[in-house]
Amino acid sequence: MELTAVQQDALVELLNIGFGRAAASLSQLTGHRVLLEVPQVTLQAVDRVGDALERVVHGHVASVHQIFNGPVAGDALLILDEAGAAILKELLTSEPALPLAIDASAREVITEIGNILLNACLGTFGNLLKVQVTFSVPHLSIENVAAILESLKVGHEGVRYALVVHAGFRLRDTQVTGYMVIVLSVASLDRLIRAVEDWERSQS
Amino acid sequence: MAATGPLDSLGGAAAKWFEELDDRGVFITDDQLIVRRWNHWLAAQTGRRPEDVVGRPLFELFPDLVARGLDASYRDALGGEVRMLSQRFHKFLLPITRSFHGAGLTEMAQSARIEPLRHDDGIIGTITLIEDVTERVISERELRNQIAASERARQMAEEASRLKDEFLATLSHEIRTPLNAVIGWTRILQTQPSVRSRAHALEVIERNAMSQMRLVEDLLDMARIISGKLRLKIDAVSLIDVAQAAVDVVAPGAAAKRVVIETAFAADLPAVSGDSERLQQVVWNLLSNALKFTPSGGRIYLEIVQDGSSLRLSVRDNGQGVSPDFIPYVFDRFRQADASASRRHGGLGLGLSLVRQIVELHGGSVGVESGGVKQGSLFWVTLPAVPELERRAAPRPPAAEPVTLNGVSILIVDDETDARELLMAMLENFGASVRATGRAEDALKMLESGEFEPDVLVSDVGMADTDGFALIRSIRKLASLKTRSLPAIAVTAYANPEDRVRALVAGYQNHIPKPVDSNALAAAIAQLVAG
Repeated sequence: MELTAVQQDALVELLNIGFGRAAASLSQLTGHRVLLEVPQVTLQAVDRVGDALERVVHGHVASVHQIFNGPVAGDALLILDEAGAAILKELLTSEPALPLAIDASAREVITEIGNILLNACLGTFGNLLKVQVTFSVPHLSIENVAAILESLKVGHEGVRYALVVHAGFRLRDTQVTGYMVIVLSVASLDRLIRAVEDWERSQS
Repeated sequence: MAATGPLDSLGGAAAKWFEELDDRGVFITDDQLIVRRWNHWLAAQTGRRPEDVVGRPLFELFPDLVARGLDASYRDALGGEVRMLSQRFHKFLLPITRSFHGAGLTEMAQSARIEPLRHDDGIIGTITLIEDVTERVISERELRNQIAASERARQMAEEASRLKDEFLATLSHEIRTPLNAVIGWTRILQTQPSVRSRAHALEVIERNAMSQMRLVEDLLDMARIISGKLRLKIDAVSLIDVAQAAVDVVAPGAAAKRVVIETAFAADLPAVSGDSERLQQVVWNLLSNALKFTPSGGRIYLEIVQDGSSLRLSVRDNGQGVSPDFIPYVFDRFRQADASASRRHGGLGLGLSLVRQIVELHGGSVGVESGGVKQGSLFWVTLPAVPELERRAAPRPPAAEPVTLNGVSILIVDDETDARELLMAMLENFGASVRATGRAEDALKMLESGEFEPDVLVSDVGMADTDGFALIRSIRKLASLKTRSLPAIAVTAYANPEDRVRALVAGYQNHIPKPVDSNALAAAIAQLVAG
């Protein structure tokens, strides 16, 4: 399954609205101007996501995981490599970072940021579909990419797809790159793409 | 109210669990954000009982939540989203004042989570969980401080290690330079024994050897100061006499460089309490430093004035000056403004550091002022005055009466041929009759057999096989009373006070450190023979 150029553009535009909302929240929260770059989106079979991500993030990563439910359901992850997570936390809090494993306060900060970003984007989808999406409590883990993706397979049969969204944070002249991975069943993805196409038509 | 039905249906056991949850705060609101449940923990921490809170709008109870923009989080929760509130960004959710072991926190540090409360397919309210993370925040802060402190310590250690490396590089250069002259001119003497070059060669060799000796003395002084072993011989000292003596030492060097040293000493200055030799070293170091950085034809002003209950000695030059960046480090050990190999000025960078250490041992202070590079500089020293004591002239070294050792027989024991021959030549110069041996065993045999009956023994201490300590102990056990009580002087390169004590305890009457000053040795021998 692949996205057409039209679908891709529409998704980017929608995600950008969510990013705008998240950036505003983060700026207000941190007192620093936080910018989120225009997202890049690719659609991949979930089995291929690991390979793709391992090319760009290495070693242990910090991931914020939330399950979302409703007419569109699935898993949403924000993935930052550990250095990126430390830099982000340091920039946002002006505190020197400790290793995440021993810094509970930093883990909370990353969880809060991931929660804001994931909810902003998925909330935008919910508004679009005129349905309510509900979320599980966000959970932060520090593992390698393969282990994180493996945990997503539990309890799921059949082909699933992932929207992989490249999210670049820019603040205080520094860039930190994260990846948002939204894993959907074929049915949820169909519903989402149809809604996106409808929205695209209503815009033009 | 539609939402109260499901909320009130919270089962008895679940309600009890909820109320009694005592390690964190939990409260529930309905979809109008009116508080419906409030657990014991919250009641205990906030001082508000459930009956004071339940049934009232959350934002009326805590208007601060709206002021801090957290009403948006509650609206998000009613829209199905979960909100995590980190302690770092929000500090706390509900203001709870408490003191924490004097750690200065008045607000309890909290992290919180706001969730939608779902019933069937709808959202009927919110649940808020609050965790007290005060202890965690304090321990993280301490950990961060410790890490920062160890990082600072590491940087300082690296800096110290770098300075020592530079110092060692400088040291080897400074030690080699006079050696080159000594060795070079010695070779010339061996190959070109003309009288004219001989005098010049000897003068160069002596000058370089003296400069190297000063270097070694500076090193030893610094070692003594670092290990706290520098002892001052305190007396009432005339700073003017001390300064004048230092000027006399520097004068030839200044004249050679066509630098004029001007002195201005205030009248009727009180004495200072100090060690005249060490204070002379201070003034000498300041003057040599000024001389080193003053170009040919320049001027150095040495001034002493009274400054309240202190005397202030200052040395001003119109030389190179000190760059503002370097001023804080001028008196640091091993520091030189330019440690690169191409620097034009020699020295170890110990002189000014010694100045500071010695002055501080005297209870005084040092300082430097400079307009910057090429602006000249002003070094000053203050020393506490002793007005109540009658001013005495600084004890000058007693004018050395010419010592002779005519008719004195001396046995020299030293296993190093050069050192032994030097001692022989020195003492023969004073008229003594000298025999020498390189082995302690031979010396003992000579004495035991009565083959040679010296008036004085001069022995090295550190020798292969039998050392000087063992030798003197054996001598003190000999049968003949005359031999047994032979006056003895230890000559050693071990120049610490403990080494002196060890030598005296072993049985020597005196201890002379190497390099040996021939006058001092002769005087010591003369004293022993006379006694």
